[in-house]
Amino acid sequence: MMTNYINSKAMMKRTIKTILAVFTIAFFMQSCENRLDLEPEDERLTADAAFENPEAYKEFLAKIYAGISLSGQQGPAGAPDLAGLDEGFSNYFRLYWKMQELTSDEALIAWNDGTIQDLHKQVWTSGNEFIRTMYTRLMYQVALTNEFLRQTTEAKLRDRGVDATLRAEIQIYRAEVRFMRALTYWHAMDLYANPPFVTENDGVGAFLPPQIQSKDLFVWIEGEFLGTPDKPGFLENMVAPHQNEYGRADRAAAWMLLAKLYLNAEVYTDSGPRYNDVITYTTNIINAGYSIPTIPYFHSFLADNDSNGAQEEVIFTIPFDGLRTQTFGGMTFLTHAPVGGNMDPADFGINGGWFGVRTTPSFVEFFLGEENSDDGRALFFTDGQTKNIADVSNFNNGFAITKYRNVDVNGNPGSDASGNHTDIDFPMFRLADAYLMYAEANLRGGGGSASIAVDYVNELRLRAYGDTSGDISQADLTLDFILDERARELYWECHRRTDLIRFNQFSNNGVWQWKGGVQQGTATAAFRDIMPIPETDLRINTNLEQNDGYN
Amino acid sequence: MLLPISIFAQSTVSGTVVDNSGMPIPGVNIAVKNTNKGTTTDFDGNYSIVLENGETLSFSYIGYRTQNIVFNGNNTSIDVSMVADAAQLDEVVLIGYGSTTKQDATGAVEKVDDKDFNRGAIIASQQLIAGKAAGVRVTTGGGGAGEGGEIRIRGGASLSALNDPLIVIDGLPIDQRGGAQGSRNALNSINPADIEEFVILKDASATAIYGSRASNGVILITTKKGTPNQPLKLEYGLQASTRRITNTVDVLNAQQYKDIVTENAGNTASFGNANTDWQDQIYETGIGVIHNITATKGYENFNFRVNFNHASQEGPLLGDLYERTGFNTSFVHQFLDNDLKLTVVARGIQDEYNYADQGAIGAAVRFDPTQSIRDTDGNFTQYGTAANLAPANPLFTLENTNDKQRIKRFISNFNLDYKFWFLKDLRFSLNAGIDYAENTGFRFAPANPNNSGAFAFNGQSQGLNRNTSLDFIFNYKKDIESINTVVDFTAGHAFQEFYIRSDVFEVTNPDIEPLDDTDINRNNLLSYFARASFDIADKYLISATIRRDGSSRFGKKNRFGNFPGISAGWKIMNESWMQNSLFSNLKLRAGWGVTGQQELNNINYGYQGLYTPSRNNQANIQFGTTVNGQPLFIQTLRPEGFDENLTWEETTQYNLALDFGFFNNRLTGSVDGYYRETDDLLATVPAAAGSNLRDLITTNVGSITSKGIEISINGVIAQKEDFGWNTNFNITFQEQEITKLSLSDDPNFFIQNGGINGGNGNNIQLWKPGFDPTTFYVFRQIYDDSGNPIEGAYVDVNGDNQITEADRQAYKKATPDAFIGWTNNFRYKSFDLNFTFRGSFGNYVYNNNASDTGNLNGIINQPGYLANGHSSVLDTGFSNQELFSDLYIERADFVRLDNISLGYTISFEKMTLRTSLTATNLFVITEFSGLDPEVGNGIQNNFYPRTRDIVLGLNFTF
Repeated sequence: MMTNYINSKAMMKRTIKTILAVFTIAFFMQSCENRLDLEPEDERLTADAAFENPEAYKEFLAKIYAGISLSGQQGPAGAPDLAGLDEGFSNYFRLYWKMQELTSDEALIAWNDGTIQDLHKQVWTSGNEFIRTMYTRLMYQVALTNEFLRQTTEAKLRDRGVDATLRAEIQIYRAEVRFMRALTYWHAMDLYANPPFVTENDGVGAFLPPQIQSKDLFVWIEGEFLGTPDKPGFLENMVAPHQNEYGRADRAAAWMLLAKLYLNAEVYTDSGPRYNDVITYTTNIINAGYSIPTIPYFHSFLADNDSNGAQEEVIFTIPFDGLRTQTFGGMTFLTHAPVGGNMDPADFGINGGWFGVRTTPSFVEFFLGEENSDDGRALFFTDGQTKNIADVSNFNNGFAITKYRNVDVNGNPGSDASGNHTDIDFPMFRLADAYLMYAEANLRGGGGSASIAVDYVNELRLRAYGDTSGDISQADLTLDFILDERARELYWECHRRTDLIRFNQFSNNGVWQWKGGVQQGTATAAFRDIMPIPETDLRINTNLEQNDGYN
Repeated sequence: MLLPISIFAQSTVSGTVVDNSGMPIPGVNIAVKNTNKGTTTDFDGNYSIVLENGETLSFSYIGYRTQNIVFNGNNTSIDVSMVADAAQLDEVVLIGYGSTTKQDATGAVEKVDDKDFNRGAIIASQQLIAGKAAGVRVTTGGGGAGEGGEIRIRGGASLSALNDPLIVIDGLPIDQRGGAQGSRNALNSINPADIEEFVILKDASATAIYGSRASNGVILITTKKGTPNQPLKLEYGLQASTRRITNTVDVLNAQQYKDIVTENAGNTASFGNANTDWQDQIYETGIGVIHNITATKGYENFNFRVNFNHASQEGPLLGDLYERTGFNTSFVHQFLDNDLKLTVVARGIQDEYNYADQGAIGAAVRFDPTQSIRDTDGNFTQYGTAANLAPANPLFTLENTNDKQRIKRFISNFNLDYKFWFLKDLRFSLNAGIDYAENTGFRFAPANPNNSGAFAFNGQSQGLNRNTSLDFIFNYKKDIESINTVVDFTAGHAFQEFYIRSDVFEVTNPDIEPLDDTDINRNNLLSYFARASFDIADKYLISATIRRDGSSRFGKKNRFGNFPGISAGWKIMNESWMQNSLFSNLKLRAGWGVTGQQELNNINYGYQGLYTPSRNNQANIQFGTTVNGQPLFIQTLRPEGFDENLTWEETTQYNLALDFGFFNNRLTGSVDGYYRETDDLLATVPAAAGSNLRDLITTNVGSITSKGIEISINGVIAQKEDFGWNTNFNITFQEQEITKLSLSDDPNFFIQNGGINGGNGNNIQLWKPGFDPTTFYVFRQIYDDSGNPIEGAYVDVNGDNQITEADRQAYKKATPDAFIGWTNNFRYKSFDLNFTFRGSFGNYVYNNNASDTGNLNGIINQPGYLANGHSSVLDTGFSNQELFSDLYIERADFVRLDNISLGYTISFEKMTLRTSLTATNLFVITEFSGLDPEVGNGIQNNFYPRTRDIVLGLNFTF
């Protein structure tokens, strides 16, 4: 009886405990599966969440422009775009500058980072990490532009309920993005001839893009500007010259890029010269209200070159700011790297030099009087520097160049008090270049007026010399002169390699110190006019074939 | 009630149970077979029990062989002398979500318990088991205060995903990323003195029940609990230690430096008058103290254990300090006649770090040795503002950098274990756990004194980690005598959520906005699992498991994975024809299983296309100007790369093993052979250019295999009353090979990795199909007739008369071919002595200190200053950095006396005192010329040197 009572009480306890247990199980068995659908909870956004904000489209556009100047989402470093190389080194502008300048007679570098010295010696292989990262950066930029175009189709905008005003503005953004894509594809065609090819019609994923030959890519880029039966061109949607916000591309920039394509058409295609088109488009630019300002040459490369008058001639600029647009690539690199030896960093508005870049004797000799020339474009620093280069790794060998300085016209340093980052805006396309292109196209039979060409050149010489003592005559204006004048006027502005190739002076003709790996310089194989497809991409993407001469 | 007739045949039997030295053993379990009757021996080893003629008494106790004695009615006084079971075959061994005995385990399961642990003032729990288990390699990161160790079980199974094993503490799986931020070693939160045992599950048949996290093995840590019926026991342990480094990098002294600079027309005006060994200056003798106070008591139904500990360790680098204060409790309560058992374990810990700036190690190696520590004004000597890229005085850096982190962590696990009243063989077990950590810290770094425009760095960081886990199982175990089989079925469900948040706030340049950023990552795991085991006739064992895991890291298509495992064992020694053989134990076992890996360096949303805005104002660009001409800035928005097909890695593993024993299990051992293959390898590899929104994409691509043989031998050489000696030796042979590595099958494809100092973006290793993942990638140096290297002269492998990238070759590797551990324990009267050797063979290390700075350019051609160089420049005479020469790849085979400890135990009336003197890292035998041959990834640069510790220990037990 007592025991029975105790037993049943215990039994009740047990029953309750079992029921509890079963409930617990049932409770937790209910579908936790939807708890496996997670979305980020910090500043990262899914695509739908991102575009709920109308500002997002312009910010995405900004990313595409920033693709050239910045290297990631955190300045000066952090959250990099590319992971394969140090962030400063993977910056588009810094890489492009190295490709175009270190490989030529205009510059060489003392550093020992990996295979960087192979660039000037023209002994690079398909494993060169700078060539590989440039290629990666170019195709990354193309992928970004494609993604923008995919996210801004009529259908997508309608689905997201974007209002008419914003839709109209987005059309202009789309034109600018197509311009930026054309610019990058031009860089890719100029460097690699036959890059992989992706458009907004391809997706994002793990597929293998096809390869395009440079002659077909030329036709495609031209079709982007001017339109094809399948799609309208973007040129007519670009904002008129001088009408767009500072830092964004307008129709004059598009004309300039088109002119560059046509100027080099014989390099890219086998369908004959296009110099007439060069005359057409450079004339458009020249008539669009740009002018050579009456200020000294070097003012155009100072910290306040967006406001000291230099901006009058600039057609397309890549802006930098010491406090807001910070990167260890970009203009930070171009201002710090050429400073070293006895040069005073304060003259350059920076906290110290990086003892890197100098120039070859061949370049010095382009100026009449060399380092003592009256030509204001000869900006050499020679104290403690030798003209000849016995040791590439010694910064004191080779004259230094003082072109880019982070000070204003009064010598005051830029906005970054730490002296790290600069305010100098990079003039990617400027009027002086258009003048020289006009003159060259005229000499090559593209039409236009020879006397006007001479006048244009003399406008540049006037700025350079400060008076007419440097003027040339019609007889002086030859193709050889144009090549050298382009060096004197446009050096260190990312043009040299393209120019040398067009004049067939880059590889198997033309000699300057340390070309070919020997001090006096030697010719190199003609296949080096084109950069190799990086071996890593060749291995992954079986659709690609290597360029001639490389393996 | 009628009295049963058998009552007349009942008697009371009593006696004493002693061990082989005559000491009584309390708590021995005495059961009457086939009844519910039972008792235990009391404190004096006495017992008394009522039983009938013909019944069998079974005496069992951990560590001793079970004895069965039949009561024939005559002798009512039965004394038993228990015989130690050297092989401890009846010892309970944990396996995933359950337990078995050592002799019944069919997977590769190895237990290391506290008497086997390494001695010394151990802070990081990983170091307790270094050298103790075959196939398990523990490598510390260096001598830093509170530095942990990397554990590798059978090598790693992955390339880009984590290679660390899953650690489960008292049933709570810990986040494989560590579980706390800001710590040098997140496992420091566990007090080593609290750990009872490590059970290491090595092969897939044992780990498959942990499914998606089990590819690199599983370590089950059990902490100490109380025992039932135990009187109050108090313990106080003290360990006081000194720590000193044993070796520094070989650099030039002041005279050698002056000679080289003078001979090469360097700037001799920069010389000072001193001869400073900078490395000597930055290291000191560190002191460490560990206190442990523990109380345990056990009643019939309830027992508890409480521990309070405080540990501090000073690093050899000036100012490095780690302190831990912890409070650990465990409570076990049994209800309902032991049908219901509740276990609560709770621990609260506070870790504090004072991090010394390790940049000082690199600066000390480079700093001009002719400079005195301080200049005439009493300030630290600096290079000066003419050399803005020069290193700061390392002592200046150490004194002025302030980097502190405090981590508060709470780990608790609640376990409910219930045997159903209607069916005692059916058991329900519920585990709910939480691991919660909060960290706050700040870092202040002074402005570089050589850079006139530099700013100091002021950063604050905070973080929160939370891991909540819930799992429950049903278990049915029954001995079905009709078919002579014991069956054991388990089925269960688990859910675990990880939440990590980190906030940073950094100020450098006062003119720009500070960086204020928050990152949040969350991921969940959902699982179902089951196991069935059969033990037929105590000879044939079969076990099969299956686990189905779903992870929030993968898209719906790829979310769930199935992970099966099967193992079988044959207890040959129980076969009738084996009864009189040489072997006292012989067991054959084989297993197969599939496990997964999904731990990817915090890529939690990798299958979704996400957008990231600018994280700070310095990543803005100018669009336009205001009416006054001031620039207008806009932030950017970036789409991230993703792979919507991202899924698990899967590792398939085969294991075949033999366990054996001779001489009554005085000599035991096992031999395990394994083969493992991982497919859908998660690797961060280059994407085909243009195809994705990132250059490197983490995706499933490639395969890696690993195979090896593990041999482990234990011998009880002497077991007398006054003298005992046992030894344990284990050796592991292993080999790893990448078999496939890209979207295409090109066998020549490779990816460079293994970043080094020197230049920028340079790598010294590669991943290539057909090679070990730590294989080096170098030029083959050419030597002259006297054996000196010719600078820049390398073998022209492809015969094109140029030395280019194409002439670099795969050469040697950092992973050893074999590694060993050898431990000996001696006991003589009240003294005990033990020592452990660890060794590694076939591994190579790249001496980056020598390659980076052992050349003239490194000394005289630095931008604006002169620096010290590695003394190899005196031998090689190199002018330039020859980073990729195989000259710098050195053999790093080593044998190290890891620890040696001498102890003496004094027994007083109410107290026992054990004193001990221990030395760790006493010496290393190696050919390697660099700092230390034991470097995890095979690349040595600015390594934080390991210390030699001398520890005095006092342990009082009341």
